Amino acid sequence: MDDVDVRKRLQKIFRDVFGDPTIEIRDDMTAKDIEGWDSLAHVDLIIAVEQKMKMKFAVADISLLKEPGQNVGSFLRLIQQRLGS
Amino acid sequence: MAEDQRATDAICAYLQADVAARASGFDPFLDALTSLAEDDEDEARSWGRRAVSPLLDYSSLLELRRFVLPAKAARGSTKALRLAILGGPTTNQLRRLIELFLAGEGIEVEIHEADYGLFRQEILTPGSGLDAFRPEIVFLATSARDVGRVPLIDMDEEAVCRMAAAEVADWVRLWETVHGKWNAAVLQNNFEIMPGGALGHYALRHAAARQNYLERLNRLLVQSAPSYVVFHDLRGLAAEAGARAWFDPRFYLEFKMPCGSECLATYGHSVACLVRAIVGRSKKVVVLDLDNTLWGGEVGDLGPGGIRLGQGSGEGEAFLDFQRYLKELRDRGVLLAVCSKNDEDKAREPFEQRADMILKLSDISCFVANWENKADNLRSIARRLDLKLDSFVFVDDRPAERAVVRRLLPEVAVPDLPADPSGYIQALAMHRYTETVAFTREDLSRAQYYAENARREELASRFSDIRSFLASLGMRMKVEPVNALNIERATQLINKSNQFNLTTRRYTLAQMHEMAAAGDWRTLTFSLRDNLGDNGLIGVVLLRKAEKSLIVDTWVMSCRVLQRGVEQFARNELVELARKEGCDRIVGTYIPTAKNALVKDHFASLGFEPLGAEGEQTSWSLSIHDLVEPLAHYIERDAAHG
Repeated sequence: MDDVDVRKRLQKIFRDVFGDPTIEIRDDMTAKDIEGWDSLAHVDLIIAVEQKMKMKFAVADISLLKEPGQNVGSFLRLIQQRLGS
Repeated sequence: MAEDQRATDAICAYLQADVAARASGFDPFLDALTSLAEDDEDEARSWGRRAVSPLLDYSSLLELRRFVLPAKAARGSTKALRLAILGGPTTNQLRRLIELFLAGEGIEVEIHEADYGLFRQEILTPGSGLDAFRPEIVFLATSARDVGRVPLIDMDEEAVCRMAAAEVADWVRLWETVHGKWNAAVLQNNFEIMPGGALGHYALRHAAARQNYLERLNRLLVQSAPSYVVFHDLRGLAAEAGARAWFDPRFYLEFKMPCGSECLATYGHSVACLVRAIVGRSKKVVVLDLDNTLWGGEVGDLGPGGIRLGQGSGEGEAFLDFQRYLKELRDRGVLLAVCSKNDEDKAREPFEQRADMILKLSDISCFVANWENKADNLRSIARRLDLKLDSFVFVDDRPAERAVVRRLLPEVAVPDLPADPSGYIQALAMHRYTETVAFTREDLSRAQYYAENARREELASRFSDIRSFLASLGMRMKVEPVNALNIERATQLINKSNQFNLTTRRYTLAQMHEMAAAGDWRTLTFSLRDNLGDNGLIGVVLLRKAEKSLIVDTWVMSCRVLQRGVEQFARNELVELARKEGCDRIVGTYIPTAKNALVKDHFASLGFEPLGAEGEQTSWSLSIHDLVEPLAHYIERDAAHG
């Protein structure tokens, strides 16, 4: 799966999880930029990525994503890393 | 409009399809729901409800949930069942799934969810949120991590036993508090058991090993539980889902989730099915196709000797296993019916001629084999058994037949069957259609009743006049208050009866215990025998005494005994009771529902005078004076027990 493909699929997952078909993801987006991206939705997002991309995050990845300064760009990089490994 | 039509067509196509086609059709289905919801949210919701299935994964279920339980819609009507979910682990994910699966079954709930790990505090602290909520069912969504006492590895068996007894006593106290404070039913997880551990296989011989200890606790919990506690077998569920997936620790470590994310949907569905059983809405009838469902091949072509069934081939044994599973269902009270496209005599031949058939004709409460469409046949089976189609499961190996029934009879549950018969049991069992929370004697013999009833109907057709028929039945009625022996069956009847039910008030076992003990309540149960067999407990009347009035709170009867004078008999009993209690009138109410038009004129036909009406609801009164004549019937009061 190339980068463009992963980005497209992640965008679809964001749209499904937040129920908003107009979401366009950008690397600098954080939880503040998307309505409803609370801690509950964050869990749903991680589960959806694992289910739909058929991959697994490590525990440390999951904690990392909750830290300040993390954004869609770092999320994407993490997915690519896990898909590649 | 044209667009709505297109959306509806796409939705119907999805709902009729089998699981393989549904997987790729899910996104278009949601798109269609979205476009429909813009015009009509209610319609989108009712279509969405039908798509709720344990076969969907967590993410898909949550997407569907937006249509089925829209956030802004008003919820929590007074009729909603009040369910408290008190987690050891966090229950956010689980709660949303339980609510969704119940909505899929048309069961409306109001949920109170405790914060993670606070189940003991919520129960024990006066004035907690739970206290204000007044739950009807309390689900203790606990896990093995919530066990308070864990043995040290060097403890001997005696010390482990003492520790287990103390641990169980704590849980019993929690249940008693729930029951005492809110009169609620308790839904209790047992403890899931993760295989493995430092002792390896030797753990089996060591009482202090974690698995052994948890198994001991699970056994003791069940032995110590009063009847208002219903167990949810989390241990079995974890094994069924697969230990590797269930015990995936990552989501517990980060989010304190109760199980791996792949297993959440199974967990939520399993709990919802138990709640459905508690409110008496489990399925009652399994309707079976024959060719390639109960045996391999077509009996019309191959003859009873040529069909593939029985020892000697894996496929033949798979059909035997499936029949054995169905036989077990039948033996615990689920009715079986046959609906097959065949000539009737040919369809019966395997039952009559093959000794290795596990299902016998006597196991089949209604046998229909013809060339009509199956939806019509299902309707006719429902009429003959006098049961509603929403209590039916339809099992057929042919996708086309399944699609027809799904389209024409959406209230019937239609599971997919795989092409391979070795997967039939799993395909049916995973839906948990027939969960039960109390196994009563009546369950065991219910299938027999229906057979006896068929004979009674045959008898009735031989008597030209109904009175000589009723007299010939030799009916004897046992009248008792609700007591320890009949309380489970009485509760079951109150929660299951839809048609002969004057007020459709539902009570949990816990509430029934309370009423049976309360000073101002009077309860009557009616059990009927006749020359053809035992009908068991067929009626319950709950009455409240208010000064000189006896108020009929609940009056339910099994529809099996309609037209046999049971109402008249019961009315006479009420009059006797009112006299004994020094009351001067009996007051009754009829609250109409979609299903109880049958008893609209119930009170009028028993000589009650109208008191008034409030909308569709009517109240009635019968004044008790010396002149109240007993109504005529042909039932003898069973003096031995009465």
